[in-house]
Amino acid sequence: MSKKNGSYKEAITEIEEILGQLENNELDVDELSEKVKRVSQLVSLCKEKLHNTEQEVDKILKEMDNN
Amino acid sequence: MSVKLRNDCQCLTLGIMNERLKLSELNGLVKKTVGEAFTAPIWVIAEISELKTNRSGHCYLNLIEKEENGDAIVAQARATIWSYTFRMLQPYFESTTGQQLTEGLKVLLSVSVEFHELYGFSLNIRDIDPTYTLGDMARRRREIIARLQADGVAEMNKELELPLVPQKIAIISSPTAAGYQDFIDQLIKNPAGYKFHLKLFSAIMQGNQAESSIISALEQIYLYEDFFDAVVIIRGGGSQADLGCFDNYNLAYYITQFPLPVITGIGHEKDDSIVDMVAHTRLKTPTAVAEFLISGVAQFELHLNDLRNRFTDVIEEWIAEAKRNIEQFTRVIAPLTREKLLKGYSLLNQTVWKFDKTVKKFIKNHDYQLDRKEEIIRHDFKDFTQLQLRILEKKTRFLSVILRRMTIANHDQLTRKMQKSEGLIRKIISDNRHQLELAYQKAMLIDPNQILQRGYSITTYNGKALKNADTLIPNAIIETRFYNGQIISEVKEIKTEN
Repeated sequence: MSKKNGSYKEAITEIEEILGQLENNELDVDELSEKVKRVSQLVSLCKEKLHNTEQEVDKILKEMDNN
Repeated sequence: MSVKLRNDCQCLTLGIMNERLKLSELNGLVKKTVGEAFTAPIWVIAEISELKTNRSGHCYLNLIEKEENGDAIVAQARATIWSYTFRMLQPYFESTTGQQLTEGLKVLLSVSVEFHELYGFSLNIRDIDPTYTLGDMARRRREIIARLQADGVAEMNKELELPLVPQKIAIISSPTAAGYQDFIDQLIKNPAGYKFHLKLFSAIMQGNQAESSIISALEQIYLYEDFFDAVVIIRGGGSQADLGCFDNYNLAYYITQFPLPVITGIGHEKDDSIVDMVAHTRLKTPTAVAEFLISGVAQFELHLNDLRNRFTDVIEEWIAEAKRNIEQFTRVIAPLTREKLLKGYSLLNQTVWKFDKTVKKFIKNHDYQLDRKEEIIRHDFKDFTQLQLRILEKKTRFLSVILRRMTIANHDQLTRKMQKSEGLIRKIISDNRHQLELAYQKAMLIDPNQILQRGYSITTYNGKALKNADTLIPNAIIETRFYNGQIISEVKEIKTEN
């Protein structure tokens, strides 16, 4: 199951991890900007997947019709 | 009744013994005997093995009885429900049991036993007791559940993890069911705009064919196990009465073994079917399933937004704190620096003052010594100068005497020498003047102009004075100069004399 929703789960896990580090003051200022970038990237990745068609998925669905 | 039956039999036996009967007579006898034997309807338990209705609304059934613990048929009879009765019995049965009156059901029937000369033995159904079927169904359900639990599989589908975001959905439904199109519309047009990838695997959703049809749909989905997030089994808009197929051991067992979570929306309000019980998630209607899926995705997005907001808050807090730290630092460091500076400044002042004092003291100290030395030196120097001055005066006087004497002597000598020189110079001047005049006259003689005036001429060739005739060639252009002009001529002939 993890392989299917992998990217969602991994994204959430990574965001939670970064948030945890941040809340526990485990990040220094040099890492901060990089982490901010990463989180925003992960969030938009998830949003994109939630709301938009994935070409790969459409392709597989079409293949099913042909079989 | 049994006594009467025995008497009839005795009569028949007697008749057969004595005469030959036509078939119709025999059948007539049987009909008469049966009629006399079963004067009132009898309650009988049987299983419906076939059921069909004709156009006039009459219902024709085949009833069987199976072995206690097996499938072998031990009794069989045809049966009819006349349309008038059927119109009343069917809805009564179905509304009470939640179950369509159909093949495979065990029923308690009130029947009148009939025999027809042409059509033979049959039972005419007058009444059905649905509570018996209900009890039987419940017993069978209990048996199936017990069997699934004994197999240890009842909870297996529930143990699967439903993906965080169920977006790729395999749907098992009848494509023509009203509930199916509503379900699709509800998912596709969800207000949050979530993307769902839906794929229909059509199946028959009622009656005896449902079991194999749904299992075959599941088998197709199994080929794409890695692709789909979940399977949805929906059935909407149909009768409430034909759900018996979902109390099916084989179908239920298949679902428990299925590798994807199965969500049901079979659409009935009474007890859950066994398929519902073993499914990962059981919901009442297709609408509820669609809502469940949408809310699952929404929940994920909510969580995502929450994390993002928390993240933003923490970052903002972090930045604010850093700002505060810097401000505080600035506030602290400015006065601290000022203080340090002041301290340093005062230390410097103090040092300078100390130094100044020391130096002054030192100087004062040395000044005194210096003054004394100066005095001594000045004193010594005065003596020395006065001595030197006296010596110098003496020498000056001596020198001036000598100088005066020498001057007088030199003056006489000079006067004599000047007189002698004057005469000599005068002589040299007059000598030179004479020589100069001679030279002038001589010079006048050799002046080319003087010579030209006397009739001579100068011939040049190529800008050079021509001295030899043989340096010329015929046709050479030569220039001849006279005292008052010049001519340019071409040589015609050259005659040399040597």
